[in-house]
Amino acid sequence: MDILKHLKDESNLIIFTDDFISNNTEIKIKNNHLLFDKGNEFFVFLDNYTQKDDFIFEIKNKVKIYLLTSQSKRADYSIRFDLKEASELTLFTDFHAKTKTSSKHRLIINLAKKAKLDIMNALVFNGKIDFDLEVNLLEEKAEVSIEQLNVGADGVQHMVNQRVNHLAKSTTSKINNWLISQENAKLNYHVTGFIAKGQELSKCHQNNKGIMLSDNSEISVEPKLLIDEYDVEASHGAAIGQMDELQLYYLKSRGMTESEAKSLIINGYTLPFISLINNEKIEKILKRQVSRVIRRNS
Amino acid sequence: MKLQIKDLYVSIEGNMILKGLNLIVNGGETHAIMGPNGTGKSTLAQICMGHPSYRIESGDILLDDESIIEKTVDERSRMGIFLAMQNPIEVPGVTNFDFVKAAVQTRMKKDEHLRIGRFILKFEKASQDLKMGQGLAHRFLNQGFSGGEKKRNEILQMKMLNPKIAFLDEIDSGLDVDALKLVGENVTELKSPDLGLVLITHYQRLLDYITPDFVHIMINGKIVMTGKDELIKKIDQEGYDWVKKELGIEDEEVKPYSLGTCPSKH
Repeated sequence: MDILKHLKDESNLIIFTDDFISNNTEIKIKNNHLLFDKGNEFFVFLDNYTQKDDFIFEIKNKVKIYLLTSQSKRADYSIRFDLKEASELTLFTDFHAKTKTSSKHRLIINLAKKAKLDIMNALVFNGKIDFDLEVNLLEEKAEVSIEQLNVGADGVQHMVNQRVNHLAKSTTSKINNWLISQENAKLNYHVTGFIAKGQELSKCHQNNKGIMLSDNSEISVEPKLLIDEYDVEASHGAAIGQMDELQLYYLKSRGMTESEAKSLIINGYTLPFISLINNEKIEKILKRQVSRVIRRNS
Repeated sequence: MKLQIKDLYVSIEGNMILKGLNLIVNGGETHAIMGPNGTGKSTLAQICMGHPSYRIESGDILLDDESIIEKTVDERSRMGIFLAMQNPIEVPGVTNFDFVKAAVQTRMKKDEHLRIGRFILKFEKASQDLKMGQGLAHRFLNQGFSGGEKKRNEILQMKMLNPKIAFLDEIDSGLDVDALKLVGENVTELKSPDLGLVLITHYQRLLDYITPDFVHIMINGKIVMTGKDELIKKIDQEGYDWVKKELGIEDEEVKPYSLGTCPSKH
């Protein structure tokens, strides 16, 4: 899918390619350092970009960023987000590969006092990917909500490390992972919440759900809580299984074939994630990516 | 349309549930099946729909003289069989509207397109007829529905799909008096020479609203007696002991069995 075709009319679009950087926004860019000091909605597209310097996205306001890639060759990205005091970032990422490839992406996000981050990661990556997400809640009352949808099929291998470090008092984190694996796909998750000593009144929650659509698919989740303080709230869990046979039977009893029924159930499973995006174009892109993967392998 | 069940033996987990059941349902006829708990009434409906947990040991199920026992669940549905389930399944994330639309589309020819405006009007009308309230279309399928709403939603689907043979499995359970009347009226409206109805129930009250042409009593996996209205009244007053006594039927012990477990929790 040509993602750029969908984004070309956006007024706040930044494109990085090896040949040029296109920026029709007021954002200042210097050596991969982007300063978001005005509140707005931005689209950043990395088009097979060979990164020389680490990206730094500096957030000083209330900002929404759609960060999308569409790779056809190996491209590794390392991106740091610095959220300044009381800033708010809603970040949607879609690391997508058009052809089978291998990549390593790393996001490090630092939150200052009262900074707020809502992050939605879509991972419908064709090939092998190591994806690291590290969130550091550096100062009081910083809070993060992470929602991640990962769809894998056709022998892909996704190794995901998510870690939230509570390094200040009264910080809050919540992680929800929605995983779908089909046809020899392997989704491997290490999800860690760490509350350092003395960081009382912090809250750290994680929830992992996975559906395996075929016997040869694999999902493994290692949810970890490392808590070094008493006066905190924390929970974790993982529920992984095959598709509910009774749901399939019910849908089939109304005339749907096995693959139509599965497709409808998967759409239902991904809907809570997709409805968070709140942008029709991006929702459409993601729905197409997901349905293409599921349909191809059902 | 004619459904014919011939000398059907059905088991689950080694337990024989149906033991030589015979039944013919023609289009335009309404059959009520009554009987004590655990006698195989729901098994009959589920095996006709093709529930994968049940196994046909012998016998046949014919739809217009064509055997359907090798047909898949969805094929049977598209051939015109419908089952309003005793416990409708919840499917989170799938809206009622998308579900019914997808179900209607399965009945369309390859070159046919759904006329969405017409579909919406029909859906809204069915929804109003069953007093499902505003917002039904966007609610997730059966999730958070009351017992009565789930049953009414089954009838809504029946109205939208126009089946040829419909099994209503204890559609009266979980319904209050008003809802029962509403469901009864809606099902009665659907009666036509093209629809054969099989009502599975324990109580006379449903049959006050949907008048059956035949009443069958099922005990120990087969139909042991067939009659008309007079049977309903007698069962309501005296239960089934008189039937067993009259026919010399002894109670059998049925081992507990499972219809499978839910592999994923929501």
